[in-house]
Amino acid sequence: MAYLDTYSTLLTDKTAAHLLRRATFGPTRSEVSAFVGLSAADAVNRLIENCSAVATPPPPRDLDNTSSTYGQPFLSLPYNKTKVEIYGRYVNYWWIGLMALQNNKPSLLEKLSAFWQNHFVVSSSVVLDYRMMYRYLQLIRTKALGSFRTLAVEMTTDPGMLIFQNGNENVKGRPNENYARELQELFVVGEKDFYGNKNYAEDDVRAAARALTGWQVINHRAANSLTFGSAFTPDRHDESNKVFSSYYGNKVITGRSGPEAGPAELLDLINMLLSHKESPKYICRELYRWFVNSDVTQDIEDNVIVPLATFFASAENNFEIEPVLRRLLSSNIFFAEINRGAIIKSPAEWTIGLLRFFQQPVPDMNTEYEAFKNYGRYVFEELNSLQYIILDQPSVFGYPPYYLTGYSDNWINGATLGTRNLISNKLIYPYVAIKAGYVIGIDFVGWISSLQPNFSDVAGTAAITCEQIYDEFVKYLFATDLNQTQKDFLIDNAMMKGLTRQNWVREWNNYRTTPSKPEYRAVVLYRGQQLMRQMLRMAEYQMC
Amino acid sequence: MNRRDFIAAATSTILPLTVNGLNLKTFTRDSPIVRSLMSTAAANEDKILVIIYLNGGNDGLNTVIPLDSYSQYYKLRTNIAIPENQILKLNGYPETGFHPVMTGMRDMFNEGKLGIIHSVSYPNPNFSHYRSSDIWMTGVDSNQFADTGWAGRYLDNRYPGFPTSYPNQTMKDPLALQIGSVSTTTLLGPQQPMNVTIQDPESFYKLVGQMEQLPSTDLPCCEAGRRIDFIRRQQILSVGYSAEIKAAADAGQNLATYPAAISGNTLAEQLKIIARLIHGGLQSKIYFAELRGFDTHALQVTSTNTAEGEHARLLRLLSEAITAFQSDLKLQGTENKVIGLTFSDFGRRVDSNASYGTDHGSSSPMFVFGTGLKRQMVGTNPNLTTDLDPMFINSRETNVNLKMQVDFRRIYSDILRDWFGTPGTTTNSLMFKNFQTTSLFSDVVFSTASGVWQDRSIWSSGRMPGPKDYVIINAGHVVSVNQNLVVRNIQVEAAGELLFTGNFTVTTSG
Repeated sequence: MAYLDTYSTLLTDKTAAHLLRRATFGPTRSEVSAFVGLSAADAVNRLIENCSAVATPPPPRDLDNTSSTYGQPFLSLPYNKTKVEIYGRYVNYWWIGLMALQNNKPSLLEKLSAFWQNHFVVSSSVVLDYRMMYRYLQLIRTKALGSFRTLAVEMTTDPGMLIFQNGNENVKGRPNENYARELQELFVVGEKDFYGNKNYAEDDVRAAARALTGWQVINHRAANSLTFGSAFTPDRHDESNKVFSSYYGNKVITGRSGPEAGPAELLDLINMLLSHKESPKYICRELYRWFVNSDVTQDIEDNVIVPLATFFASAENNFEIEPVLRRLLSSNIFFAEINRGAIIKSPAEWTIGLLRFFQQPVPDMNTEYEAFKNYGRYVFEELNSLQYIILDQPSVFGYPPYYLTGYSDNWINGATLGTRNLISNKLIYPYVAIKAGYVIGIDFVGWISSLQPNFSDVAGTAAITCEQIYDEFVKYLFATDLNQTQKDFLIDNAMMKGLTRQNWVREWNNYRTTPSKPEYRAVVLYRGQQLMRQMLRMAEYQMC
Repeated sequence: MNRRDFIAAATSTILPLTVNGLNLKTFTRDSPIVRSLMSTAAANEDKILVIIYLNGGNDGLNTVIPLDSYSQYYKLRTNIAIPENQILKLNGYPETGFHPVMTGMRDMFNEGKLGIIHSVSYPNPNFSHYRSSDIWMTGVDSNQFADTGWAGRYLDNRYPGFPTSYPNQTMKDPLALQIGSVSTTTLLGPQQPMNVTIQDPESFYKLVGQMEQLPSTDLPCCEAGRRIDFIRRQQILSVGYSAEIKAAADAGQNLATYPAAISGNTLAEQLKIIARLIHGGLQSKIYFAELRGFDTHALQVTSTNTAEGEHARLLRLLSEAITAFQSDLKLQGTENKVIGLTFSDFGRRVDSNASYGTDHGSSSPMFVFGTGLKRQMVGTNPNLTTDLDPMFINSRETNVNLKMQVDFRRIYSDILRDWFGTPGTTTNSLMFKNFQTTSLFSDVVFSTASGVWQDRSIWSSGRMPGPKDYVIINAGHVVSVNQNLVVRNIQVEAAGELLFTGNFTVTTSG
């Protein structure tokens, strides 16, 4: 069974949930149900088609209720230097709102955008211009599924990137090689091939920097400016020929002059980088690590990365991203048992995944400003506490667990395990208010009651059992199966605290008989809370 | 010859001397030179190391400034050069100065509690942040790779079998502690991190202290099973250690004044916690802290004042944090058991760029601090003509780096062997090879090759020996003397030679 051939089994509970866990920030229960029974190809097609539903969301609004522009889209207003932080936050909330959105149209867009954002990193704390962060994010979201060539070209002259990687200061005579290095090391070619051989020489960094001289940012942080962008200034451009090493076939990029020199040399440069045989492999390997498994073995390199890269770079595909993802996400290797639960959830997958799984809806940004702000702030701060700051990676390498030895293991340590418990506790013991009538949390009593047929017919309809509640709670929750020992522990110790399971039937029937009695309700709530609390603390729940 | 081997040799044989025209003493077990050697080699049970990572690649030349090459310095980096009259002077080392904001570290240096290792790097340096910091953290050659950190390997060797059956009666505390959120490669052991990572002791205890444990059960297959096992072990260790960490935090106190929390000195906040835990008796051997932001490609100085700007801000944070920490240790009475070091991804270019910044470069200085130092300077100021790579040519577009004087792994080896008391052969295997000592923790300077006395490259300390040094000319080395010498004492090994090229005197003091 070739790894990249299409997975031919119809999706089950497990495989549908696996696909949705990887392609989104965690499925809702109804999204999983809707995907069960689809073919892999149809399911992936749906994830891609649904992107159009969120492709052009309305822009972020001013959510500061003390502001004179409260509720207005603020990006078209004159640039307000005093609002760098607060408007930057609202851009973050805007993206968080899209990641957590529950519109019954699960799409690949935000998870893929998060991949590109962690690939072509630009950090807001360096750029310090909310308009530029939004434009950069929009570039990613609109080009995420398109041509990688176009994305790389446009990213190079993106104002936020020019600031972040000092392209803005790259001038003939004193080139700033920051961007030229990362363009090769991280963005397009990769520093080394699979076997550890270097992909380019130090002199190639210098030559690439010279080809990119002359680009500048207009109106960065300029008070009251209505427009901003990037421009090429011929005077600042190095017009000499740029000679590359044998890694690039001794390619010479002809030095040019005049206003078209910058765009022309940039295109030459990106084309040269893309013609490096390692570039498509590097990008496919990064995608594989993000969506499938960080462990790229020789077998995977030979049978997944190399053929996928060949397809990616082929004349017919010409570096289009969408067909590559279609193949990867519907492949045998993607659905292989060995790859299920093979990644530890990132803070975003963990935090937003909880909210989506337990269907904590995102308020409408266009009508419920306060509620939307509360929701965005809640998620933003939880992610901060796990050192996942949206749109603000600690370095150009991205979040460390996407590149350090051990990869996603690095999300887990004493500090973050404790913080994850704290976050899940907020769903178990609700108190975070989003708006009147909406507190983040799980309605355990309502949930359990919904499982009980003929709720009030205590004499005639048997009570639902501990096992039935367990089965309901565990449904779609874990990427791997729990075994009988764990199930027994969760029911007998976590839920029943050593009391017999029969005891539950009495407690439950008491509540069915007299639901108005607070102590009957309290014990039902307690059992539900204890069971789910322990489930969410399990190592197994950390797995994506 | 390493120190232990030398002691064995020095105490078991009578050493013939080959000294031209001079009558030098031979050495016995009772001689000061031998005692000096032996005193540092005792088993060091309670020694602690604090590692400070300057994330991003620190610009060494604007941190430790070669006053003796100032005109070259100014010429190579005019737009970011610190004005000569603002550079802080160091007692006894007029050729070397500090960035103007580093008053605290200047004072520490003058008190003998801070050491500088000049031009530290490794052969064939890599200019990628990730790869170069990985090399520094794993301690490998630049063309090799390792899955473990250098300090992680040390702890794994000292506490075999970790994490199975830890914590236990003999080691109740974490082997190492990192203040932060994402664990460092430096402390990565063969199975998993050797450290516990916490944000602060109180919240750590509250968050994990009462965690219930599921019984260990069979693991699912493959990567998922491996990672689940990893998380479970982390859960168990965290719970196991949280009470000990809290107890130490409760028992310990900060006795010095640290920069106010409002000043945003994140390094000071981390070191403050570490000092408190040390004072509270936590037995952890290694602590890890981090200061971010050293990747100063642009505006590392302001365009109007080169002594201000982002780099000055960072160095002020560093200096204030380390100074407060050292004062705290002194007041606590824990000063003698703690040593600290700084490291960074790499240094930066000698020549600045047009954006008032510097691009990735190779060598830069390391700092080591604590009362346990025997030596305050290893290597010499880089000479900004002969130590440049390529040798400076008068073009605006040259990319100029500093030649390496000291391989960073020599410092790590010295710490493992001389600070922690690890046997030499074990140290070599932990560091994957035998690195020549820098004499950082020793009064004794060894010759490492033949040459003239003034040549820094023939001495273990990377500089010409001075009045405080015991000097040993090793077997097979011929050291030519063309000046009068002032040293503590000199020993010439069998088949070594001090070759006087004229009528010079040797003044010794002990």
